[in-house]
Amino acid sequence: MGRLSILAAGVGGQGIITLASTLARAAVASGTKALVAETHGLSQRGGSVEVHIRLGDVHAPLIAPGDADVLIGLELIEAARRVSHLRSGGLLLAADTILRPAVPGVRVPSREELVSAMRRAAGDAKVVVVPARELASKVGGLLFSNMVMLGALAGSGILEGFVGVEELERVIGTLRRREENLKAFRLGLDYCSTHCSSGRG
Amino acid sequence: MPSPEVLGPPGAEVLLLGNEAIARGALEAGLGFASAYPGTPSTEIVETLASVAKKLGIYVEWSTNEKVALEAAFAASASGVRALAAMKHVGLNVAADAFMSISYVGVRSGLLIVSAEDPSMWSSQNEQDNRFYGMMAYVPVFEPHSPAEAKEMAATALDFSEKLGTPILMTPTTRVSHTRGPVKLGQLRPRAPKGYFKKDPKRFTLIPAHARERRKAIIERWMRVKEAVNDLPFNRVEGSSRVVIVASGISYAYVREAVDRLGLDVAVAKVGTPVPLPARLVREAIAGAERVLVVEELEPVVEMQLKDLVASEGLDVEVHGKDYVGYEGEMTLDRAARAILEFMGKNPLETPWRAGNTVDLELPERPPAMCPGCPHRATYFALRKAVNSLSLKAVYSGDIGCYSLGVLPPFQEQDLILEMGGSIGAANGLARVAEGQVAIAIIGDSTFYHAGLPALANAVYNGNPLLVLVMDNRVTAMTGEQPNPSTGITAMGEKARWIPIEDVARGLGVEKVVVFDPYNLKEAFNALRDALKYVVDNKKPAVAVARRACSLYIDRIARRRGVETPLYAVVEDKCTACGICYNAFTCPAIMVKSDGKAWIDPDLCTGCGVCAQVCPFNAIVKVREGSPEWEKLWF
Repeated sequence: MGRLSILAAGVGGQGIITLASTLARAAVASGTKALVAETHGLSQRGGSVEVHIRLGDVHAPLIAPGDADVLIGLELIEAARRVSHLRSGGLLLAADTILRPAVPGVRVPSREELVSAMRRAAGDAKVVVVPARELASKVGGLLFSNMVMLGALAGSGILEGFVGVEELERVIGTLRRREENLKAFRLGLDYCSTHCSSGRG
Repeated sequence: MPSPEVLGPPGAEVLLLGNEAIARGALEAGLGFASAYPGTPSTEIVETLASVAKKLGIYVEWSTNEKVALEAAFAASASGVRALAAMKHVGLNVAADAFMSISYVGVRSGLLIVSAEDPSMWSSQNEQDNRFYGMMAYVPVFEPHSPAEAKEMAATALDFSEKLGTPILMTPTTRVSHTRGPVKLGQLRPRAPKGYFKKDPKRFTLIPAHARERRKAIIERWMRVKEAVNDLPFNRVEGSSRVVIVASGISYAYVREAVDRLGLDVAVAKVGTPVPLPARLVREAIAGAERVLVVEELEPVVEMQLKDLVASEGLDVEVHGKDYVGYEGEMTLDRAARAILEFMGKNPLETPWRAGNTVDLELPERPPAMCPGCPHRATYFALRKAVNSLSLKAVYSGDIGCYSLGVLPPFQEQDLILEMGGSIGAANGLARVAEGQVAIAIIGDSTFYHAGLPALANAVYNGNPLLVLVMDNRVTAMTGEQPNPSTGITAMGEKARWIPIEDVARGLGVEKVVVFDPYNLKEAFNALRDALKYVVDNKKPAVAVARRACSLYIDRIARRRGVETPLYAVVEDKCTACGICYNAFTCPAIMVKSDGKAWIDPDLCTGCGVCAQVCPFNAIVKVREGSPEWEKLWF
């Protein structure tokens, strides 16, 4: 088995750890070794958070710079901050959400600025912006964006050979508010099945 | 919430957090008692044990500080019950007095002390290397490299401890404690959770005459420990080569992957007990070697012992370590790879891992912020106004907790942050010498009980004029809302006696005590102004208690129970885009629209209503009443 390194980034409180541990539990259920390294502490206070998910033949919990196969961003500024972690030819899945840092007088770049800067920096990596907020609002709100993005990751096909969709759905079924979470997952999966497979999304 | 799989069946392979794995390992070895003061990255060990305590019939508590936690766990061990005390690395400083003496008297049943280390200081004030404590106290140190190994180590440590009569110090780092990985579960071997303290004053009472005898005993014990660690499965040699990489703890994981992926011809000596060095094993590993590189985080603990071994035995081998690896921060794959390549005389830039382009756009920083509805924000807002209204020059002596975030703009009401309880301690000195300034100590409820009491007694006793502001949010919020003496619940979920902070202050002889609700800005301002005026006029200490539970804690309960919270919104026509709510109050639920007017994100608003009091134009109004149960959630 090879290895797959996924860097998940966002803002404390967005459910990144739930996304990562759901993926890793499904990986273990699929017979794949999984390591998930979290940075806690102050992060639940709305700070910038990243979680390193490593699947397959791995020992190190942290992903080296330029070694991430996938960068999954639950927020655009946080996704843009970590583009350099992506390997060339990798996949960047970013939720179409901007959260303003609670800093006096802060200047927040626009969606267009962020997306085009990300595309420029990502080089030959594929960049897909997922309307996570819109999709999550169909099931019950922003809270479910994490499952939309997990669905998008599964829909991209990159998990094949590491984690099965069935295992993912089984683990999501054990979460609180399982119906909404499953729906959110499937919406993300469907979105990416059509938008992530070829060309730039 | 701890994973329910912690109690999974033997033989199952489950995904556990490193800290959950430590809890499971201790349970497999028949743990009967556990205590801790919460501290990142150690908290989930005892949180996990507390969640299963009633089911297994064991005793688990949140202690008021690490010293008490360790003393209590020691007493359990001395009474014949296997015990664990957990803390973050700086917690061992608080418990150090007990730690040294406990090594002297030794243990009866297994005693495991877990000190979770934090290289890179993800949530700490320093990156001290507690493996040195093991050296200082003659206590063996176990350093795991993965959640799976952490589970095995915790179980083995309790057996080893009991067999050799020594406490064990286990030092997982953030990358083990907070990494989830597959763990194969073993058999639970429960033991009786009750024991009996058999008296043995010559051993357990450390008066000088007895202590001198114990000093001899622990040196003898150490000789046995030094031999026994060679046979532990956590120390092993992989491969053979004239170049040997010695890797301790988590560094092994990075070295193993770097060596495999770069295809290097080296032997790897994995060290799981950095103190004492498994000398026999390492000596065999380096017997035919010309050069050795030690890869470890923080200080050269293994490197120094290895150099000592090489020097004292006159071995012909070159030992390197920190000269290639460096001191600061946690290990990474590329750091390990670069050190090894450079050590082998290769180009360190030959690693396949190179950062790509960064975006050509200035991105705003995102420091952690106080949550929407956080009562601390309101208290800081009112405190600044109260200080200004009296034209005082204040020195804000801060402490460790969520309220440390008051250091950031716009509040900047933390001028000094040292360690737990340091706010009141340092304010005692400020009160005496900082001329023309008023000393304001800011401390949380849990921290007040942890180390604030002696410093407050000192202020009363010595008549030092300072204001102690206790931000009482009823839980130990920063580490995940654990209960404490201000909550009225125990770790095991039982009702406990609430100890009101104002009662403690009065009991210690403080003559001026005020209590206020920070969600009422006017009340908060008046109470703080009153207390400050008292300190200045009477030259005596005063205590102000800001009482409002952690909003994150209450909001979580509200969501779980489906209780509707109040909701506030901005009246478009009244908003003048002045920015006070988002620039001077900075609630993260308040967004800025392109015209500069404010907008409250209904997904984030917790309904505290403080922004409505902050707005000078009455442009923020309540648009939804909370359900009656919402008021009842606050305590």
